[in-house]
Amino acid sequence: MTVEVSSLKELVEQASGDDRSPDTQEYFVNMGPQHPSTHGVLRLVLKLDGERVLRCIPVLGYIHRSIEKISEHMNYMNCVHLTDRMDYLSSIMNNWAVSKAVEEAAGIEVNSRIQYIRTIFAELERIQSHQLWWGVLGMDLGAFTPFLYGIRDREVLNDVMEETVGARLTMNYVLPGGLMADIHPNFVHRVKEFIKYFRPKLDEYDDLLTNNVIIQERLRNVGILSPQTAVQYGATGPVLRGSGVAFDLRKDHPYGVYDQADFEVPVGTIGDSWDRYWVRVEEMRQSLNIVEQLLDNIPPGDFLVKKLNSKIKIPEGRYYSQLETARGVLGVFIASDKKDEPYRLHYRSPNFNNLWCLEPMIKGDYIASLIGAMSSLDLVIPDIDR
Amino acid sequence: MGIVTDKLPGALEKVPGGNVLVTRFDEIINWARASSLWPLTFGTSCCAIEMLMATGGPRHDLARFGAEVARPSPRQADLLILAGTIVKRMAPRLRTLYEQMAEPRYVIATGACTISGGPFIYHSYTTVRGADEIIPVDVYVPGCPPRPEQLFHGLLTLQKMIKEGETIREPGVRRKPVISALPEGITLEDIQGEMKELLVKENVVDVQHAVDKLKWPSGLNEQSSGKSGANESGAGDGT
Amino acid sequence: MEREALQAAVCELDAAVSPLDANADRAAVVVEASALPAIVRRLRDEPQFAFAQLLDHVAVDWIDRGQFELIYQLYSFKHKHFLSVSVFVPRDDPRVPTLCRVHPVAEWQEREVYDLFGVLYDDHPDLRRLFLEDDWVGFPLRKDYQDDFMLDRPR
Repeated sequence: MTVEVSSLKELVEQASGDDRSPDTQEYFVNMGPQHPSTHGVLRLVLKLDGERVLRCIPVLGYIHRSIEKISEHMNYMNCVHLTDRMDYLSSIMNNWAVSKAVEEAAGIEVNSRIQYIRTIFAELERIQSHQLWWGVLGMDLGAFTPFLYGIRDREVLNDVMEETVGARLTMNYVLPGGLMADIHPNFVHRVKEFIKYFRPKLDEYDDLLTNNVIIQERLRNVGILSPQTAVQYGATGPVLRGSGVAFDLRKDHPYGVYDQADFEVPVGTIGDSWDRYWVRVEEMRQSLNIVEQLLDNIPPGDFLVKKLNSKIKIPEGRYYSQLETARGVLGVFIASDKKDEPYRLHYRSPNFNNLWCLEPMIKGDYIASLIGAMSSLDLVIPDIDR
Repeated sequence: MGIVTDKLPGALEKVPGGNVLVTRFDEIINWARASSLWPLTFGTSCCAIEMLMATGGPRHDLARFGAEVARPSPRQADLLILAGTIVKRMAPRLRTLYEQMAEPRYVIATGACTISGGPFIYHSYTTVRGADEIIPVDVYVPGCPPRPEQLFHGLLTLQKMIKEGETIREPGVRRKPVISALPEGITLEDIQGEMKELLVKENVVDVQHAVDKLKWPSGLNEQSSGKSGANESGAGDGT
Repeated sequence: MEREALQAAVCELDAAVSPLDANADRAAVVVEASALPAIVRRLRDEPQFAFAQLLDHVAVDWIDRGQFELIYQLYSFKHKHFLSVSVFVPRDDPRVPTLCRVHPVAEWQEREVYDLFGVLYDDHPDLRRLFLEDDWVGFPLRKDYQDDFMLDRPR
């Protein structure tokens, strides 16, 4: 058994050195970290033969902010705030994941009002996240109009949530032991208005993009990810469901009040970019259903069962908790040594694991397909790097 | 015929066959620069959603300020909107991007992370504590993340700085950076109202005001002396 | 399978597996480092376990005990159960066989742990730094890591 530590430079030099074929030449192209369609600062080193992608090496770390190290010096209430900045498009779900882990470990019981509100907000944010993804997917494939449509509807939902939460993006709403604030008196009414507004808009989305022949050509049979590969490469969320594996923590291991809502888990058939697209568009419809069912049943009660900024101590041991964000399974690992700060806090981020599906998906395909395939993965880079 | 006297300072004179606008090269070039800033799409993390996507979207609409032509290439951009944390590994790349932009180039640092490292200052082994450790910054827009309105306020501040400050004789000379915190009580409606006011004003030519604003070298301009230029109206002043 | 039953069943697989009880909220076992790939492969292939996915790989630096704890989180889509597999390696010689051949995603999860903790994975096909530059000195998530750049929070 041997251990060899290499570097990216060695890897590239070694791979370019062994090409002796007389007709075509393989070469490397650097994509990122400043690139319009890598959605942030992802860097891909692509090994190409003509226009065919032979290898795709993701290079990470351009936004590695050492959140896990910082968290070791913060108490559990404060740790929550950093998670907004990881996957900023599902910030409430990130808050909830940490809160859930801390609550389970410390044995804090929250009342059902809190659970209802958390679930409703998580679903609203899932819609919001998918709206942005939908717009950006269109933009990546060269159509600017979907971006305007997506952002337009996102702002409508943003207003509804902002009234309660007070922030537009990094919401910071869920805490261990409750919520930052109670819902606004207008909330229920405005969410209902939003649902009435957004349902026809989803059909408009279908008219504009889903049924568009160019989009279909760009996505269908591109970036095929078989269910076996998806499972082996650690994919979760819409990426895994797009490949036909009906795994959704909301259904399989219900948390919050998902067990009281009736909803479907959309799954794809062959696992191409189109399936992942369709799964997400369908998820928006299902989320609307969930919100609609829960909205009228919010029970009365307190919105906070634990005092704000109280020091929570967790018994010694290892705890693992997870929930389904807009991109897949977010796991929170806590190793505690009986203090009010975590001894070690680790996030299993969905994007980190979904990213590695990119290479099996586009190997041997055109470089232009890479953009559509990457867009269908819906990556958020700060969540990968943490 | 309407001429934007507010943004294009100059003396308007009636001549046979039309109007002639007299101004200085410095002023007209600065006016042109300020009114068509092309931002580079540089978003590293959360702020990018608010600064580049929400502002570019239909509600907030960056195009109203002439800055909607977001370029992915630094060669075609002259405004760097820093949106997101800068870490050690990104720092040399950011410097390269800045160097590749054409002169004159301007930098707006948005968000707590870009200004100071934000929530990632302590115990972090990678986060750079402020983008101004790497590149010079003109306007700071605080917030985590700032609202789109705040970016607009920062942009208007930068436009004002450009119009007043930099000249073609001294292209590199920069004033002290300013912090463009949105004053208390400013809302989107206020800014929209201000913009509407400016648009109305654009259709009214106030020759005397334009002449007053122009500070000619002594001896050339007898008109300007002693006139009351009370109606001062820069683009960012109304707040 | 229930948590206790699963834990007992996994422990019966091999002499190198023993149960771990440290308030963990799911079935947890300790495996000897040398037996790890074989055990995980059996856990994946045997139908009563069917742990198809490696959800997560975490390292914990127990500096007082002089050990790294490497935790593998496994999930089975078929039976819908979780298992946490721990491996203890000495801090001064952290070596463990790689799981890349069993679960391909381990390649990158192990690279992350190597990057931040300096755990060496035997037979890893591409052991490189993941988040930090190739010439970075030290492993920052170790408890005793300190460099000139880091700031302590003023108390």
